[in-house]
Amino acid sequence: MDALNNLMYGFGIALEPINIAYVFAGVFAGTIIGMLPGLGPISALALMIPITFAMEPSSGLILMAGVYYGAIFGGSTSSILLNAPGVAGTVATSFDGYPMAKQGMAGKALAIAAYASFIGGTVSIVFLMLVAPLLSKVAVSFGPPEYFALMVLGLTAVVSLSDKSLVKGLIAAVVGVMISIIGIDLQTGTERFTFGSIQLLDGIDFLVVALGIFALAEVFYMLLRGGGGKAPKRNAIGSLKLSGSEMKQIAGPIGRSSVLGFFTGVLPGAGATIGSFLGYSMEKRIAKDGDTFGKGNIKGVAAPEAANNAACTGSFVPLLTLGVPGSGTTAVLLGALLVMGVTPGPMMLEQRPDVFWGVIASMYIGNIFLLVLNLPLIPLIAKILDLPRPLLLSLILIFCMIGVYGMSFSVFDLLLLLGFGLIGLGMRLFGFPAAPLILALILGNIMEESMRRALQISGGDWMIFIDKPISLALLVLALLSLTLPLLKKRRKKSA
Amino acid sequence: MTRLNTNQWLALVLGLLAAAYLAMAWQIPSFPLPRPVDSDLFPKVLGGALLLLSVLLFFEKPAPLAGADEIDHEANQGPLLLTPWARVVITALAIAAYALLLVPMGFVLASTLLCVGLTAYYGYRRHGVNLATSLGVVLVLYLTMTRVMDVYLPTGVLPF
Repeated sequence: MDALNNLMYGFGIALEPINIAYVFAGVFAGTIIGMLPGLGPISALALMIPITFAMEPSSGLILMAGVYYGAIFGGSTSSILLNAPGVAGTVATSFDGYPMAKQGMAGKALAIAAYASFIGGTVSIVFLMLVAPLLSKVAVSFGPPEYFALMVLGLTAVVSLSDKSLVKGLIAAVVGVMISIIGIDLQTGTERFTFGSIQLLDGIDFLVVALGIFALAEVFYMLLRGGGGKAPKRNAIGSLKLSGSEMKQIAGPIGRSSVLGFFTGVLPGAGATIGSFLGYSMEKRIAKDGDTFGKGNIKGVAAPEAANNAACTGSFVPLLTLGVPGSGTTAVLLGALLVMGVTPGPMMLEQRPDVFWGVIASMYIGNIFLLVLNLPLIPLIAKILDLPRPLLLSLILIFCMIGVYGMSFSVFDLLLLLGFGLIGLGMRLFGFPAAPLILALILGNIMEESMRRALQISGGDWMIFIDKPISLALLVLALLSLTLPLLKKRRKKSA
Repeated sequence: MTRLNTNQWLALVLGLLAAAYLAMAWQIPSFPLPRPVDSDLFPKVLGGALLLLSVLLFFEKPAPLAGADEIDHEANQGPLLLTPWARVVITALAIAAYALLLVPMGFVLASTLLCVGLTAYYGYRRHGVNLATSLGVVLVLYLTMTRVMDVYLPTGVLPF
């Protein structure tokens, strides 16, 4: 009953005309950016931060959340029409979506993606509404040692689940923390790694790093891949209508993948990408016509689409209740919230119910907007894919610059952005994952603070992290998350 | 002497960085009042971790360069200024020039020039569309930021 009352309160906020406009703007911008191959939700969110920092926190998060799930929603369009997923979370959609498009059923695939995303998103919001308050009740008892351990787990999970080298993932995370502690140490006032520069006293803004490592590096990477060419040829859309039997066929996969996707999203490190692959492989295994997956099976579009949207909503659980993001994307969201002066965590439900419930209610509205945008308007929106690549690349550059300059008014930050863009390109080329770096960058300061506060409490005794059962359990999980993939690899080699 | 592989080169660079970082961490001054953890502990742990990870990377077998197969090798045959790496270098230089000229030239002029120039350089030949789109987007961004969001952007040589 409480949840229902709170939800009504949330709708009171989300239905304010200005917030409805923000939801719409968020999902629309997210759909467009998600559709463009290369620019993922992290870049989309980073590009939006400068717009949100002067907003009311609830409105800002409503807009950002809309961009996030809009990007996941929009990513499926380029997966289906071009076989070039706009976001990693929609790669699995292309396995059957693109073959369907080649068979002249692109419209059908897009409609399935829209229905599955809508249901996946909506089901997961119900779960978010029920699970988040429970988890935040547990998290209220967390002290500095538990928080430190939780952040270590968040980082190791993201590192271990990236498909690249574990060592390189850990290096990215360590470098991320190193960047985060540049500037004045707030506890002692000591300068650290500022090289005497006044511009570095306040540290390096995470937006500069996020836009550099993701968006600018992506532009450089596209240039290396011959980005000056024409826009790729896309398949015609055709009819969007689904028959009754087709609806029946996709109902089961959508239901199952929605639940699976949500719980995958809640886990630190896992997110839309892993959720969509799990949903796809689960359906492939249990379907009677599993051998037709990969050749244009409609269930192969429905399952990953429901799962990736559900996972996207699920990833809000650790962010809003624990204040610890479980992925690079939610790390950027956390950064945006901190810029707006809101610290998510177990107390957020009591201190900022407007933000918490307003966002949840806005997600229902956003999903309806997305369904409307992605069904009748999709032929129109898909025209964005025909935008000439040279123009697109230059415009992304301008958005990055205005994003950074509009926030700090600093030429130095623009040069830093360029530096991080080149570092991001190097990371891409040499196989270093970027998500652990950005997560570590956001968590680094909070992690150090928790560690120091814990040691302050214990008088410098490190055993405090092991004596506390929750902290111990989280650290053991962190260790397992790093060692299990190694053991698995070794077992595979010896088999 | 055997040649070093990519990971070993990277490990050496990162190892040197870690050593320099540790040297700087040791120079962080202590807080006058004794406390269990001072400002230098965390950096020392990070530097040590990076050094250890560099050693591990040195012995890790390198995977094929990510995305190396996707680099547009055909373009390498064309004029030097249009090769993929030249595009990256020139874009980087253009960004640096933009950063330095933004305030004196103003946002609208500098951004339009950057956008039009790079789009043409990347190979888009419809210059009228290029100019109209670039100027249109830059103006919309400028007006939104300055008039709606009250964010100051340099006007430079233009009167608005």
